[in-house]
Amino acid sequence: MEEMFDNLRADKYPLKEYNYIGRRGPRRIDGFQKASGNAVYTMDVQLPGMLHMRFLTSPYPHAAIKNMDTSKAESFPGVRAILRYDDPELPPIADLGGHVPSAEVVLPGIAHFQGEEVGAAVAADTEAVAEEALKLVEVEWEERPFVLDPEEALKPDAPLAHPELLPNGNHYNAGLLDVLELGDISQGFAEADKVIEFRSERRLHTWIGPERPCGVFRWNGDCPEVWVKQQRPHIAKRVISSWFGGVPMNKIKMHCLYQGASFGGWSQTPWNMAGHYCAAVLAKRTGRPVKWTFTRREDFYGGEMDEGVYYYKVGAKNDGTITAVQGRAVLANQIWPVFHFLKHLVENTRIPNIHGQLFVVKTNKGPTVPVRCEQNANAHSLTLIFDHVADAFGLDPIEVALKNDGADGHDMDWLNERKAERGFEVRDSLRECVEKGKAAIGWYNRWHPPGKKRLPNGRMHGLAFTWDHEWDDSAGSSEMAIRIERNDGTATILGMGSDVGVDAENSYCQIAADELGMRLDDVYYNPQADPGFFRMTPDSSTNMSVNGFAIRHAARILKRKILEAAASPRGKTQRGSFPPAFPDAGPEDLDIKDSVIYLKADPSKKMTMAEFVGPSGVAGPLVSHENLGVRSNFSVPLFAFGYHVQTGTYAPQHLRPRFCRQAHFMEVEVDTETGLIEVTRVVNVNDVGKVINRASCEGQQYGGSYMGVGRGRSEEVVYDPVTGIMLNGNLLDYKMATMLDVGPIDTLLVETGMGYGPYGVIGIGEDIATVMPALLGPAVYNALGIWIDDFPITPDKVLKALSKV
Amino acid sequence: MIKLTVNGQPYEVRVEPEWTLYYLIHDRLGLIGSKQFCDRGACGSCTVIMDGRPILSCMALAIECDGANIETVEGIARASHPLIESYARHHAMQCGYCTPGFIVAAKALLDKNPHPTEEQVKEALAGNLCRCGTYPQHSKAVLEAAEKLLGG
Repeated sequence: MEEMFDNLRADKYPLKEYNYIGRRGPRRIDGFQKASGNAVYTMDVQLPGMLHMRFLTSPYPHAAIKNMDTSKAESFPGVRAILRYDDPELPPIADLGGHVPSAEVVLPGIAHFQGEEVGAAVAADTEAVAEEALKLVEVEWEERPFVLDPEEALKPDAPLAHPELLPNGNHYNAGLLDVLELGDISQGFAEADKVIEFRSERRLHTWIGPERPCGVFRWNGDCPEVWVKQQRPHIAKRVISSWFGGVPMNKIKMHCLYQGASFGGWSQTPWNMAGHYCAAVLAKRTGRPVKWTFTRREDFYGGEMDEGVYYYKVGAKNDGTITAVQGRAVLANQIWPVFHFLKHLVENTRIPNIHGQLFVVKTNKGPTVPVRCEQNANAHSLTLIFDHVADAFGLDPIEVALKNDGADGHDMDWLNERKAERGFEVRDSLRECVEKGKAAIGWYNRWHPPGKKRLPNGRMHGLAFTWDHEWDDSAGSSEMAIRIERNDGTATILGMGSDVGVDAENSYCQIAADELGMRLDDVYYNPQADPGFFRMTPDSSTNMSVNGFAIRHAARILKRKILEAAASPRGKTQRGSFPPAFPDAGPEDLDIKDSVIYLKADPSKKMTMAEFVGPSGVAGPLVSHENLGVRSNFSVPLFAFGYHVQTGTYAPQHLRPRFCRQAHFMEVEVDTETGLIEVTRVVNVNDVGKVINRASCEGQQYGGSYMGVGRGRSEEVVYDPVTGIMLNGNLLDYKMATMLDVGPIDTLLVETGMGYGPYGVIGIGEDIATVMPALLGPAVYNALGIWIDDFPITPDKVLKALSKV
Repeated sequence: MIKLTVNGQPYEVRVEPEWTLYYLIHDRLGLIGSKQFCDRGACGSCTVIMDGRPILSCMALAIECDGANIETVEGIARASHPLIESYARHHAMQCGYCTPGFIVAAKALLDKNPHPTEEQVKEALAGNLCRCGTYPQHSKAVLEAAEKLLGG
């Protein structure tokens, strides 16, 4: 029981029957609160005496503060404190978060992009007062040259985007996983019947969390109390403990309330915790709680990987077998330049010869961060390469996918051997996904040669397919615990985490209920408070695959403890004890079903969990049961914790080939007069290994499709090339998908059990939103017979391709 | 000083001229169900019903609401409107931040059109943005609530 679970092999502990796992819609644990308006988010927090803090932002894309006069702002009515970048109490650097300790400037005096929070933070009675006061801060700026375009930034004579960090040039990933090589690229091209080349571009889009970045910091004496808008509360706690010469962890009180979405993004930038650092300083000085906020526009600056330009050269045989892929990409501002843009080709295909050169450069825009997720460049590349090959050889893209399926340059026979040696049932995940998807979309009845189907409404019809592998099981760790409550015997799950809305909390309850034999209604989990245990963050779709192990482990241990307690004397004191709940039985003779403990040989002998655990208070101050000769049936405290440490496939050892697949289909109508693309139908098919929470999985599918369509079709953060200023940092001019922007979405799930999580699950949170954007390319190509490889594919690009503008 | 009714409760409030109705409701009255997402009248998260019409409270000045009758999601929930249950049942939410705005807009629709078609529901809610992409579930939830209201 105390072993670590081996997630590289088939799951060892499937249940004989699943009462709640996989069942459709047992409940939505947060549903009533969110629907009724009772759900409290960090942005809703109001504390007595609370001040509101806002930051000064740079009007220039690259500028240093030469002088700053805050005197007028300080005397503005309602302003209580101002923190300046040159404040002697501010350390030169501090740990501001991330997976590993970082060293960041808390409040910089130099801005490296327009809109960056620099120079000053004002705490005032209201947000409006703070904003007014910021207008009174007089700054003498030293404007510096800037560069916005990734390819321009790579040139040797380009302006330095960040000379403090990169004094010798903007390119910063030399030698850092910048070259990806497999096989012999020359040999691969020599074997090809045809070689195609094309260029693609992905422009910057951003994450958009409905709840603006914010946080609240209060000192209770020398104990910090912190409310975080963060998907990593325990990392935030670790970071805070390193500030001010060290704050003991046991003095820090964390709150992680409902999160107004969190797709990665802000949680991974130093800004997030810089806000807290400045708030902590001003809270200390004013003796009042401080709430810091960003505006909607400021939220836009944390963009999304990977803006850049991609060049591909692909060799293939006439039957669609790809023999070689060569790629070169220039990408901007990756926060961690470690995700090579051809990685999925290695991990998802049998293509034996691959060479990719990745240049990552700094430009004067905000940092790009993984936003559902860092594999955008990979999914983009895989989709376009495969669909371009299918087009060049006149082949069905599904057949091209099936022909090249494999892993690490090996074919399916090799991959199937790997499945078998790990104890999995050998199943062809892609074929299963494709069959389901083809039937749903009516592929063979409706797919057609490119540019050949005009609909009665005058629009051109397009249909497209793409695929990819299982999403990563990121490295991570998790601690979760379960306690059986006194009086009613209900189970409380403990473990702080960030509720980002995927119904993960309910999923853990489902696992706990099934493993314990309890009713789902008797298991509850609120992750918002800090019981000392932390669970894995939702990073990298690893909510379930890491936390699922931890909660299952805890539940299995707890069940054993309950049954042992049920067979043991209770209410022990020095004078004796209460007889066992089940005399003459061992724990192995007992079981639990629907929150009732019973004797397996005679189920009529039973006791509810509530009857078994006993009351929380057993005697009053004047009369004790003991004096009356009555003993309490007080059972031992029933509590267990589980934990899991996971080494993911991000690990360099590449511990496990990818076995599960996904397939996606998109149908479009393109208006050749206006250039408008209507996405009329989507089919998502995901092999999730095992369904835990069906509605949650489906939610990630259709939710990801909407986000993906938005990314591929209309979302772009536009900067003015002359001034370097963001032009559309609002939700009127930045077009995310609305309810009317996507037609019906079929969400289909395949369960091969070949996953890396408990019960063989695979994470699903990131992949659809990441894979879907590029699918718009082949869909539009199938409609028009013209490739538009510049994303997002906005109407102007369609009209330009049609030579209409 | 303005007088207004919020969820059936009379209020008399001193307001600053620059206060939005959203600020008054959320920050001053403590009715946190109304949410600020875009702050530009683009997303619908701050929707409230004023005198029977759904409006964007971030785009209305509080000072203009003297004498108004306002309904927020809290009032809708307190009345046990079937929308609350159907939204939870159909998972018509993920992070939940935009959910109250959808529910208020849906309630305004059902008040005027108790038996809407799916297209009419989508049309009524098309001005509400959801970044989590819960869109397909809303019409299911609203149509079910409509049926319950009609005694179905």
